Amino acid sequence: MTEKSRFDFSQLSPGFEFPAESYILDESTIKDYLQATGDNSNLYRQRSLAPPLAVAALAMAALSEKITLPPGTIHVSQELVFCGMVFAGDRITCSSKVSRKVDRGGLRLMSTDITVTNQDGKTVLTGKVGFVLPDMEKISG
Amino acid sequence: MENSFRELKVGFELPALKKKVRQEDINLYAKASRDFNPIHIDEEFARQTPAGGTIAHGMLVLAYVSQMMTDVFGENWLESGELNVRFKTPARPGDNLTVSGKVKKCIEENTCFTVTCDVLCANEKGETVISGETVVRVKKDENRC
Repeated sequence: MTEKSRFDFSQLSPGFEFPAESYILDESTIKDYLQATGDNSNLYRQRSLAPPLAVAALAMAALSEKITLPPGTIHVSQELVFCGMVFAGDRITCSSKVSRKVDRGGLRLMSTDITVTNQDGKTVLTGKVGFVLPDMEKISG
Repeated sequence: MENSFRELKVGFELPALKKKVRQEDINLYAKASRDFNPIHIDEEFARQTPAGGTIAHGMLVLAYVSQMMTDVFGENWLESGELNVRFKTPARPGDNLTVSGKVKKCIEENTCFTVTCDVLCANEKGETVISGETVVRVKKDENRC
């Protein structure tokens, strides 16, 4: 991902759709994820399942690779709905769209809807992520 | 946690999950999630920010909440879980976190029970790291709440 393909907060408006990104959730990524989160559940290993938050994390990665947010931006809220299980080796496609943007009186908020589908086109996860951005006018003095 | 399915009712407290935040886990999480924001992994950079040091990814801490739900509800959670949370305070390396939850609604539907829980992740100082709500549909043949 080059800097050219990143979008700045000022360029975005409600309804803006970021280019979709696809990933293969391989065994190795799932293993690293389970180790990082200290999750020893046999459920994932026995059925080669991916934890839904691993899927959500990649959806967030797809979004963060396409947007430039100023230092001090805070991820304040997260909604997620798990619509279907994801298995090791599945190819997931992560899409995101700006659903709300407030930029007035020093208040800068942005909400983005995320959708993840699998290789069959089935939606496996949806959600909404909320950011609060710093007031750049205050920061710059 | 199959036995707990029979015990589920309003006020039921989900078994708490305890986690220690470690920098090596944050680093590994950065790799698995492709989130290499230096605020999480670069101590020198993070020291110069208002955070004053590295902080865990919010999604890593949220994974602990999901883990507690999976421990209790198994595949029901993976197939039908819903989360709605707010990140209140960052978690830092060395923090001891406790994830807890309590059933606040249990509604019978045709084929399942819809169980709504309040969830909380707090550090050892009692500060809320994450708070919110989860919803899970538990198939009737697995639950007697």
